Amino acid sequence: MSAIVCSHVDKSYGATTVIHDLNLSIEEHEFVVFLGPSGCGKSTLLRMLAGLEDISGGEVSIGGRVVNDLEPGDRGIAMVFQNYALYPHMTIFDNIAFGLKRQKVPAAEIQKRVEAVARTLGLEPYLARKPTELSGGQQQRVAIARAMIKTPKVFLFDEPLSNLDAKLRNHMRVEIARLHQSLKTTTVYVTHDQLEAMTLANRIVLLKDGVIEQIGSPAEIYRQPGNLFVAGFIGTPNMNFIDVAVGRKDDRWALTGAGTTFSFEGSGFDLRGVDRAVLGVRPPDLKTADAGDSTNLLQGTADLIEFHGNDALVTFACGGKEVSALVPARECPALRAPVRYTFEEESIHLFDATSGVSLRRQEKLS
Amino acid sequence: MRRRSSLPVTFLVPTLAILLVLSMVPTLYAIVIALQNRELSSSDYSWVWLSNFIDLFLDRRFLNAVWVSVKWEIVTVVATMVVAIGLGVLMFEVASPRLRNIYCLLFIIPVLLPRVSAAFVWKFAYHPLYGIATYPYRLITGGLIFDPLSKPSTALFAVASVDVWQWGLFFAVIVLKLLETLPPQPIEAARLDHARRWQIHAYVTLPMLKAPLISLMFVKMIESLRSFDLIYVMTRGGPGVATETLDMYAFSQGFIESGKVSYASAMAVLMMIATVITFTMLWKRVQA
Repeated sequence: MSAIVCSHVDKSYGATTVIHDLNLSIEEHEFVVFLGPSGCGKSTLLRMLAGLEDISGGEVSIGGRVVNDLEPGDRGIAMVFQNYALYPHMTIFDNIAFGLKRQKVPAAEIQKRVEAVARTLGLEPYLARKPTELSGGQQQRVAIARAMIKTPKVFLFDEPLSNLDAKLRNHMRVEIARLHQSLKTTTVYVTHDQLEAMTLANRIVLLKDGVIEQIGSPAEIYRQPGNLFVAGFIGTPNMNFIDVAVGRKDDRWALTGAGTTFSFEGSGFDLRGVDRAVLGVRPPDLKTADAGDSTNLLQGTADLIEFHGNDALVTFACGGKEVSALVPARECPALRAPVRYTFEEESIHLFDATSGVSLRRQEKLS
Repeated sequence: MRRRSSLPVTFLVPTLAILLVLSMVPTLYAIVIALQNRELSSSDYSWVWLSNFIDLFLDRRFLNAVWVSVKWEIVTVVATMVVAIGLGVLMFEVASPRLRNIYCLLFIIPVLLPRVSAAFVWKFAYHPLYGIATYPYRLITGGLIFDPLSKPSTALFAVASVDVWQWGLFFAVIVLKLLETLPPQPIEAARLDHARRWQIHAYVTLPMLKAPLISLMFVKMIESLRSFDLIYVMTRGGPGVATETLDMYAFSQGFIESGKVSYASAMAVLMMIATVITFTMLWKRVQA
């Protein structure tokens, strides 16, 4: 049974529609990440699941029960907010116990459960303190404890790591992943950070302007982006895009653009009837070309080199188009040196120039 | 640099000097007079030291005035805070932003009225025959007379209600604005934590506003001490001595009934000492 089902969900503020006809089903024990740029409606959608925003149209059900008109407290969910949202005047103990007290759980049981949760999250030394006396990471852990203690059917995380510094963010990300491994609670997690999405998610729901662009596992979304937006949004450094004209030559597809012609067998793509397309290649898929390579070359003069540690990102202009290649640092060319890169046919992505939809042939469902 | 640093001094010293003269001279003079036996009717006087104070503690009317003052202070402060918090929370919960602005505007009007005007307006409203405030009573009882200002049991509350009408509504606006400044997330977290609407306010928002609410209460306590004009216009301390607060009694002893200026000054000095001690203690307690 699905833990969460959204069917034909709409959200509008007055005349502005934020989410339009959204359909989504989340399985039990799944860790789903809503990913998208700011203002794409991901937080709004999460808040609609939580009951903090009204649902303008459609139906949301959690655990098989329609929750459209249920109070947030009655939906069997728990939420962790970006800015922790702790009760500033209460001790950590009272913060964690607040929900149980409202449900009239006996004091002895509250004591026991708070202690158990505090032990899991390493909060025992801080139970008597006030939130302001804790660091950001500890406060977020309290917020997670407060969510955990309710033993909800669904965890909702609203950009929980955005307020933390980079190091702590990595640490907390691992903790959240561990927590999900041990509790197996269905989790919906909102973020704009694709690294968080890639590392945590079973499935990523990529949103833009209130519409789902693609749903899939992190690997699927990375390897087979469904359209130009997904291809451009996922992956750092960003994918290179080259506008090309599609033609046939010698029984192969000839894609002309950026001052050169690329030649492909094109078996993975459905290029019939397409005359303009966008060719996408990820920077790590560009390899330094050997002297003998003569096809599928991208060449130019390196005009920016960013050192990443193991790798270096080489940016150069190729036929008026800026292209980046991520190469091992030891192969890194000098600034202003001529560079030549090539790529395998398997690593390319092709999109329709007008609709932006991927031209990849749909793999037969096994 | 020197010129720049002398600027604050240039502005502050005269102001502070004037303030010091204006506040300290009357205070010291009042203390001096309280130790004498001056009366308005003659210019003779002698030093009687503490006898005015001893007389005061034997004066039943003075003790009544102390009790009335305490009652007035408690009734007005408590009622104002209850009305302010109740109305503020109610507006926060049910009124749309647009409606809130209209209510705020309406609720500020009473406090903008000069006290004396407000007192007169309500004195007419409480009129047993023509008053709008007593109209429902006449309607229900078929024309029976109810005069809240001339019954000892109701007079204080009738006058206090005017004070609450002015300040409670104004403070309700402040409480609403304070609630609006709170971050919404703890409230949302409380909703997820099974808290009912009233519980959210009782356990989350109002405790978060503890400091400003206490400041508001202090403002009201100080304001309630200056009830003279209101009571003077509405009841003049009557009926009998039912609404005679300390300042009313001091005024009537000093200027209306007997012209015993020294006796009145002694009362003022006692009031000042009591106020200073009470407020210092309360302030310390709140700060702790």
